[in-house]
Amino acid sequence: MPKTELSATLSALADRNRRAVIDLLKQQPRRAGEIAAALSLTPPALSRHLRVLRRSGLIDEQGVEADARVRIYRLRKQPFDQLRGWLGEVESFWTGELTAFRDHVERSKNRRGGAR
Amino acid sequence: MPASDVVTVTVTVSVEPPAAFAIFTQEIDLWWRTGPKFRIAGKRRGVLRFEPWLGGRFTEEFESASGPQVFTKGTITVWQPPERFHFDWRGVNFAPGESTQVEVAFEAVPTGTRVTVRHAGWAALPPDHPVRHGQEGPAFIRGCGLWWAELMTSFREFTS
Repeated sequence: MPKTELSATLSALADRNRRAVIDLLKQQPRRAGEIAAALSLTPPALSRHLRVLRRSGLIDEQGVEADARVRIYRLRKQPFDQLRGWLGEVESFWTGELTAFRDHVERSKNRRGGAR
Repeated sequence: MPASDVVTVTVTVSVEPPAAFAIFTQEIDLWWRTGPKFRIAGKRRGVLRFEPWLGGRFTEEFESASGPQVFTKGTITVWQPPERFHFDWRGVNFAPGESTQVEVAFEAVPTGTRVTVRHAGWAALPPDHPVRHGQEGPAFIRGCGLWWAELMTSFREFTS
């Protein structure tokens, strides 16, 4: 993943309110009004958070045919997939170390004649 | 601190807890992976060591152009052989006072010992910390052994 994308994703998620928005959108796409009400945010504050999330690619917005004023926000899967891949890489760090540890234990045990 | 601010990895080894504990701590330099991804020293092989007591240090010693150097990767905060030990973990790019917490537990199971590493404290690092910006993959791991995991659980739910 390009460095800038990862940083943008992590920066966008470094805010408690924006994580709350993500949690709400995980359940289903929602209108800004619904999100603002659920999180007790003022419309300007929510707008700022939505803008950051949109710029980082974590969410997008869609119009509604019936009403041009209404925007529906939903999660975009791609950045989460990328982040997951990156987290997996980091998690594998400890998995790798513990595997190396286990291999070393087995080698030591054989060297010591299998004694526990 | 949210419960998801934790990395947990386990492995089972076929020796009893006292041996597992001793090998994990006293022989860490023999089993910890080598190379620039895993040791600070990079090409010149650094030597890892736990000082086996409460308050003891977890260090990497290596030769640099300006002579031998010792980097303190952590300090032991709990020392209860053969059951567990905890240490604070610092990356080379951490500011003074910044650290994460690693807990290593050794639990007897019928086939030997289950070793669990629990690494917590990412969410407490400031948002503009280098761990969260500008470093990725191997460089990130070498520097810190860290990850940013506050939302790990929900990401897994969402992406799985």
